[in-house]
Amino acid sequence: MSLRTWTVGLMAGMSMLTLTAQANAGEVRVTVAEYSAKTGPYFESVKKDFEAANPGITVKFEIVPWDVLLQKLTTDITAGTNADLSIIGTRWLIDFVQQDVAEPLDSYITPDFKGRFIDTFLSPSIMEGKTYGLPIAASARALYYNKELFEKAGIAQPPATWTDLQEDARKIKALGSGTFGFGLQGKEIETDVYYYYAMWSQGTEILNKDGTSGLSTPGALEAAKLYKSMIDEGLTEPGVTSNNREDVQNLFKQGKVGMMITAPFLSNQIKDEAPNLKYGVAAIPAGPTGARGTYGVTDSIIMFKNSKNKDEAWKLLDFLFTTEQRAKFTQGEGFLPVNKEEAKMDYYVNNADLAAFTALLPDARFAPVIPGWEEIAQITSDAMQKIYLGSAEPEAALKEAADKANAVLKK
Amino acid sequence: MQNRFLPYLLTLPSLFLAAVVIFWPVWDLIQISTHDVSRFGQLRDFSGLTNFWALTADPDFTAALWRTGLWTVLVVGGALLLSIPVAIILNTDFYGRGIARVIIMLPWAVSLTMTAVVWRWALNGESGMLNSALLGLGLIDQNIQWLASAETAFPMQVLIGILVTVPFTTTIFLGGLSSIPDDLYEAAALEGATPLQQFREITFPLLKPFINIAIVLNTIYVFNSFPIIWVMTQGGPANSTDILVTHLYKLAFRIGKLGEASAVSLVMFAILLVFTMIYVRLAMREQRA
Repeated sequence: MSLRTWTVGLMAGMSMLTLTAQANAGEVRVTVAEYSAKTGPYFESVKKDFEAANPGITVKFEIVPWDVLLQKLTTDITAGTNADLSIIGTRWLIDFVQQDVAEPLDSYITPDFKGRFIDTFLSPSIMEGKTYGLPIAASARALYYNKELFEKAGIAQPPATWTDLQEDARKIKALGSGTFGFGLQGKEIETDVYYYYAMWSQGTEILNKDGTSGLSTPGALEAAKLYKSMIDEGLTEPGVTSNNREDVQNLFKQGKVGMMITAPFLSNQIKDEAPNLKYGVAAIPAGPTGARGTYGVTDSIIMFKNSKNKDEAWKLLDFLFTTEQRAKFTQGEGFLPVNKEEAKMDYYVNNADLAAFTALLPDARFAPVIPGWEEIAQITSDAMQKIYLGSAEPEAALKEAADKANAVLKK
Repeated sequence: MQNRFLPYLLTLPSLFLAAVVIFWPVWDLIQISTHDVSRFGQLRDFSGLTNFWALTADPDFTAALWRTGLWTVLVVGGALLLSIPVAIILNTDFYGRGIARVIIMLPWAVSLTMTAVVWRWALNGESGMLNSALLGLGLIDQNIQWLASAETAFPMQVLIGILVTVPFTTTIFLGGLSSIPDDLYEAAALEGATPLQQFREITFPLLKPFINIAIVLNTIYVFNSFPIIWVMTQGGPANSTDILVTHLYKLAFRIGKLGEASAVSLVMFAILLVFTMIYVRLAMREQRA
């Protein structure tokens, strides 16, 4: 084991050395996140088409799984061996800007180029008036429900409020035979976000107006109690803290879960893996006052300040954001269109699933633009896990989390 | 005169290699942990021991520290207890011994990460193999959510840790057993010693140096072992299965506190160094006596 670790480490070190040596003129290196099995083939075809259209420029895509993307970028930047372009979560962008590793793109952006984008998705990548990234992927969250289970349980329409959702979950649970009302995610990435859906519907925001954490407000407590009561009543799948987003999605695809909140890419997965599943997409339930919120996410592609081939890299960006390329990528991965012309295509206009997502965009919250956001997300996820497990009372767990979050916010 | 310098000269290349591979990263870690460091590893002001003090104030760190001790003792101890009988059996001559040896070694051939991934699937609450097997055998009447809480997740992780540590340990012991001359057993049998007496008076004492090696090497591997816990629970839920390496990884690459993470790394290095020195010293003294 240790010998193997050493050799792997050594080889990694050597390959890094060769990479730096290889960074020759005319080569654009791009770090790309692997969203699905289709990501690799897509960028393969980009490389072919782009290189054919731009002789003298070679493109090298390094495809990395999402989970290790931030780790790779951290080590690469520390060692000075980062690529010319990289996809990053837009919520990390502020760290990149503050550490002065991201290049502002404004000198390249023409009004015409800027006009290609839907503003909602471009604006999270703009900081202090400068555009540091371009939204390569955009997504929101909505409620998926299993029409067959709804019919069997005698439910006519998707729940409009959380009270309705609880009621519907009870009816689905009563069907027995291993069906669960509401799929609740309790593990790994976005565990905190799954909680925000309930919190936003209480009118509570992640950050209060004065910039402190919203976790100690009554609305946050109400939301945590809602989920906890659903777990205790058996309205969710058992073992919430052992299920990450993919696990809950799998339960939904197997027809075991009545409702869950997730991203548009689930529609694509269902098409491939469970084509017979009858499902619908609806808005995220509202709270008592009618407030509701969905999570809007964009990933940005950024240019590094230390890139030696900025002009070539920009050419590639320009190519990636043509309508044709955008449509190919977005439809393959199941994201939302970020390009105005693209959004007018029949594929999006006649797609009921995607229409449900785009209708929610006015209620979309993006991750707050603050340094240390990942730490606050981690603190919130930990608190939720404690509450779901019952190892801490909601009130105490939220109070503790709010204190920790405020300490991070003060820095 | 020449002969005196020759040994040093001959060890110089490997010493140089060790310096590059070991001392240089440790030096780097010391640099990072004693400075205020940016999210991407750029050093700012010297900050002394601030990062180390921050650790002592972090209850997650202390919890992970104790859990790492527990994890190491359980996995190393368990693997040791299991490997001695396994090695003794594999050392006796029986039909199909070659195949039995291969089967014992197999977990070693599979990458640790893949083993952990397969177990994560097997332990899935709703569609995992283990639950359906237990249900099929009638041992349980409803699914157990293995990875939902530390009470079930951590013991399973320890068991898997033991499983993957056994092959290496058995290999060491097999080497040890084959070095014990057969005439000792023949003589003992002539004198009327029972198999248990033979084990206590011959096998165990002669195997001791090998047990010591197994303890030291396994402790170092297991203490630092990342994939099993990371793949199965990422140290969760709510950090309740974190050991130092997973805690370190989260600090460094999730939250971006490279300084504190380097401090954790140095603490781990120090613990292992002290353990190894004390243990080797004790083991050596015992052997001389």
